[in-house]
Amino acid sequence: MKILTTVKRVVDPDAKVRLNSDNSGLVTEGLEAKMNAFDQYGVEEAIKLKEAHGGEVIVVSIGDSAGTKEIRTALAMGGDRGVLVTADMSEIDPKGVADLLAAVIEREAPDIVLMGKLSVDSENNQVGQRVAAKLGWPQATFAFTCEVADGWATVGREVDGGTANVRVKLPAIVTADLRLNEPRYASLPGIMKAKRKPIEELTPDDLGVELEPQLIIQGYSLPPARAAGEIVDDVDSLIDRLQNTAKVL
Amino acid sequence: MTQRFDLYNPTEAHATIREMVRSWGEEHVEPQAREHDETEKFNEGLFRRLGSELGLFGVTVAEEHGGVGLDAVASVIIIEELSRFDPGLMLSYLAHDILFVNNFYHTANPEQREHYLPRVISGEWIAGMAMSEPGAGTDVLGMTTRAVRQGDSYVLNGTKAWITNAPCGDVFLVYARTSDDPDNCRQAWSSFVVERGWPGVSVGRKEEKMGMKSSPTSQLIFEDVEVPVENLVGTEGSALIHMMRNLEIERVTLAAQSAGIALRCLDDMARYAITERKAFGKHLSEFGQIQRFLAESYAETASGRALLYDVSRRISSDSRQSLGAAAAKLALTGTAERVARRAIQTLGGYGYTREFPVERMLRDAILLSIGGGTNEAMHKNIVSDLRRIYG
Repeated sequence: MKILTTVKRVVDPDAKVRLNSDNSGLVTEGLEAKMNAFDQYGVEEAIKLKEAHGGEVIVVSIGDSAGTKEIRTALAMGGDRGVLVTADMSEIDPKGVADLLAAVIEREAPDIVLMGKLSVDSENNQVGQRVAAKLGWPQATFAFTCEVADGWATVGREVDGGTANVRVKLPAIVTADLRLNEPRYASLPGIMKAKRKPIEELTPDDLGVELEPQLIIQGYSLPPARAAGEIVDDVDSLIDRLQNTAKVL
Repeated sequence: MTQRFDLYNPTEAHATIREMVRSWGEEHVEPQAREHDETEKFNEGLFRRLGSELGLFGVTVAEEHGGVGLDAVASVIIIEELSRFDPGLMLSYLAHDILFVNNFYHTANPEQREHYLPRVISGEWIAGMAMSEPGAGTDVLGMTTRAVRQGDSYVLNGTKAWITNAPCGDVFLVYARTSDDPDNCRQAWSSFVVERGWPGVSVGRKEEKMGMKSSPTSQLIFEDVEVPVENLVGTEGSALIHMMRNLEIERVTLAAQSAGIALRCLDDMARYAITERKAFGKHLSEFGQIQRFLAESYAETASGRALLYDVSRRISSDSRQSLGAAAAKLALTGTAERVARRAIQTLGGYGYTREFPVERMLRDAILLSIGGGTNEAMHKNIVSDLRRIYG
């Protein structure tokens, strides 16, 4: 079984971020980068599929050349080879990511694509869906269970009030939610083996993709500081505040 | 691809290891540290997972011999990162992987490697090293444990003291006197691999210690223990060479424990003073006295770590770094004690209670100025190296 999974290098979500002087982006200097948390679930599921069905796990990332580190981490967990599409992430929108990824998928022709449902930095939640649409493949998003048999994937999705199970015919795109699995840690021997696994570097030109952003970020702003809370004397004044000050009733 | 030089993570693999062990440590090591300090229990299950889950045993053993094939820097990274959470657990790790595995690997013959390495690298067996005695610590030549050749074995008698992992260990590297020739005292010592299960091997009462309580320590007692000749490591009389060759990686990894303690205390102190605690309407970090605690702690920790990593990356089985390794241990053990003490002072009443880890960190830090060669021995060694340079 040929399994393709994706990893994105993101700023450590626990780091305190600052805006640059003209509010056009984040100051990333000195911040640690990590693999997008949802991608870890995707990678783990890919490796579990390989362990159950045999085959190969291809790890794909799009970003600057430092992204080899996140690919190597996925290879250390058990992936077989990597593909890095080098691109300037400040000039690329979800459509661009989806176009590049779809081009890689067409080249690799995997049986299944497992990816995080969104990246924790920009939280667009678009790429999996766009790739499926572009390729004309079925999609099962927000997976918290995933079983593959006889050319079909059965995916459990957490929805309000219960679970929805969908069956998709392979090849398909599956995006991972929390609780899909518990991602393993890369072991030291795994990290050493990953050093010898190949990572192919491609450019958008190599893939014949022309990037035309449809979404341009105009600027960033930090959320306003929260005002201090207030202790009220009784329930009546609480209702009064909720109605007239907070205007939520 | 050109990569910027990073002293602390010389390769991408080192950076990945650091990230992996820190994250694993936050999830699995931090939550159990306080309990194992208080109950003075060794967390054997967690210790074995360092091997079975993360593959942290045999870091410096070549891949073709079943190890990871990494360097002293990798060991320093692992021990520094996990000592942020539980220095005691990492002392037991250091005794296993540095004091036993690294030393044994570089000295043992192929048959000995084949017999023992798989057991200690898998974590099936826990290992340690036995040098100190009730009357001989830093003064190693005062050791009185003796091995006398009788036919195909040596008969071992003596008592070793303060042996990390003795209560839980399965196999030990033991130093013993094999000659009384006064003209040849540097060849008087040999090293042996001794198994805990052999007749005549016993452990003393578990020591009650000030710190490092999650790492078990006791005496290791040998009474007419028959050690087969095959378990002599290296040649008879060569032990001092093995001991000296292993000293540098021992010292930088002990210094790495101190670095981890200093980093943890600095983190806790800075977060508390800068973002959490206010006094007289201002954050603690607005007060000059606390500023001095923070600034000096940062500067000392950062400079100590720079020395530690600069020395560690030069350590290999064929290059000597005795001056640098002694300097790194001397600098960082003092730093860890001072930073932990300042962290307690900054956290005030909270710092003094067991609910916060800084008081445990101070108790743990003090061992590192004593074990693996006291700081006074570091003074002596540094000056003897300086005499060679200036004398």
